Amino acid sequence: MSDDSTAKPRHEDLVDQRLVCWYFAAALTFLFISMLGGMLMALQLVRHNPFAGIEIFSPGRWRMIHTNAVAYGFLANGFLGCLHWAVPRLTLRPVLDRRLSVLIFIAWQAVVLATAGGLAFGQAQALEWGETPTWIDPVAQVGLLLVAINFMAPISKMSGPLYVTLWYFLAAFIWTFLTYAMGNFVPEYFVAGTSAGAVGGLFIHDLVGLFVTPLGWGLMYYFVPILLKKPIWSHGLSLVGFWGLAFFYPLQGIHHFLYTPIPMFLQYGAVISTIAVELVVTTVVINFFGTIWGSGSAVKHNLPIRWFYTGMVFYFLTCFQCALQVTMTFQALIHFTDWVVGHAHLVMFGVFSMWILGIMTYLFPLLIGRDWYSRKLCEWHFWLSAVGIFVMAGDLILGGLFQGWSWAALQPWDASVEVSFPFWFVRVFAGLAMFGGLLVFLYNIWMTWRGEEELAVDSATVPAPAS
Amino acid sequence: MNDRKTPPRATFVITAILAVVILIPSMLGFANKFYELILLCRGEVDGAFAITPVVNYLLASLGFFCLLCWAAFNGMFHDIEAPKRKMLETEWQLDSETAAQKR
Repeated sequence: MSDDSTAKPRHEDLVDQRLVCWYFAAALTFLFISMLGGMLMALQLVRHNPFAGIEIFSPGRWRMIHTNAVAYGFLANGFLGCLHWAVPRLTLRPVLDRRLSVLIFIAWQAVVLATAGGLAFGQAQALEWGETPTWIDPVAQVGLLLVAINFMAPISKMSGPLYVTLWYFLAAFIWTFLTYAMGNFVPEYFVAGTSAGAVGGLFIHDLVGLFVTPLGWGLMYYFVPILLKKPIWSHGLSLVGFWGLAFFYPLQGIHHFLYTPIPMFLQYGAVISTIAVELVVTTVVINFFGTIWGSGSAVKHNLPIRWFYTGMVFYFLTCFQCALQVTMTFQALIHFTDWVVGHAHLVMFGVFSMWILGIMTYLFPLLIGRDWYSRKLCEWHFWLSAVGIFVMAGDLILGGLFQGWSWAALQPWDASVEVSFPFWFVRVFAGLAMFGGLLVFLYNIWMTWRGEEELAVDSATVPAPAS
Repeated sequence: MNDRKTPPRATFVITAILAVVILIPSMLGFANKFYELILLCRGEVDGAFAITPVVNYLLASLGFFCLLCWAAFNGMFHDIEAPKRKMLETEWQLDSETAAQKR
């Protein structure tokens, strides 16, 4: 992994634990805000909006704050915190400059807060998942460039074959920068109409596939072997997954706009590449289940592993769902329905948020230097989150089918709203469960931080050397 | 790593045949479709709609194809399973040192 000639550095010389803590604190703060926005939207749908008539609390605006706070506030901060732990330990080199890391941290929080403020005051950009006001886009773009430079510096000094995690991270730094530029600048300033719509489709899905997916899988390839104390089943297969993602993913975003004026050959291309990605995903999932084979009890006793593998099951389900729903026949039924909302929640919370929360569950005791205040509260956090997202996604997916059938039968619009009410009520309670899980987690972190019990050295997950 | 042998002649022949059978028709097909796309863009409004996302995809894929070639020619896929063991050894060393300091 690294030059044998270099002296072996210590963990404290490599990882700025204070910064990892800051990122995690910021991530959880934005998750809290995002979930509040989600609850507001859920209450609006069941006609119980507590802020009716107040413009800046309009559910339409808070829906955008909900999605942007998750993507740029929670996931981005969570990933950056994890990267500050994983990259220096993998490369045995610190990031390029710790002062730059602090600058990026402050600048990124400013970007996310300004985005929330801009959205609340009605300055949204007309681009799904890219509603960040146009005046913030250049700042965010510079921030992404600095992130890439800061983390790619230690990786670029590596010699010899790279571990798969670093391949994913390298690609993510490049992809995220390019994806953000493509989505936020091309439709705004260079192309219009259907062409802008097609680019918007690429942007929406590339944010998932080329920003959060490579970072998420990269972190799984790092943390799962460490926690299971054994190497990944097949490193070769993991590289097949990486290169498959690189070549099949970038075209599939257009499947968001099937049955639109975008040329059909482009729509079919997106459908085919989406189905191809399902095969790639299968290789990745096989690899991880091959790794845990023979150590299945870890799912029961090791909470981070349970978070990770639950997320992987959801990932496979959501990709399988994706391969089906992009077919033209299926799309005709579920387009514009809550099926899509359920699918999006399953991806963003059921997969990537669960992975980050699992990593936090593993890292917080190491960062704070104390055992968890309550293991039982950690269990409550997991079960409230897992059951909550399972119920919410299942409920919305089913509700989407009812809406689609209602529209296909040419019933009046009101009929589809009426049929949706039971599903929207269930969604409120599923959301409350997930929100409750987060509150339990925050309380557990607070009590752990205040506690005095030092982390026992033996309980730290010191892996045995690989055989 | 040091005693790498020249692949057997049969392996070379099979690889060459597969390359010819698979790559040449694929490249011809791709070139043909790309030519159609260019004609479409020049001739119809529909084609212009397609050019931005297709060019985006082609540029991204070209970049990664170059990266794949660079990785292959720089030995990134030699001893392909070694990095997974090296990663765990590095982790074990870092954690052991931290644990020793705490004791």
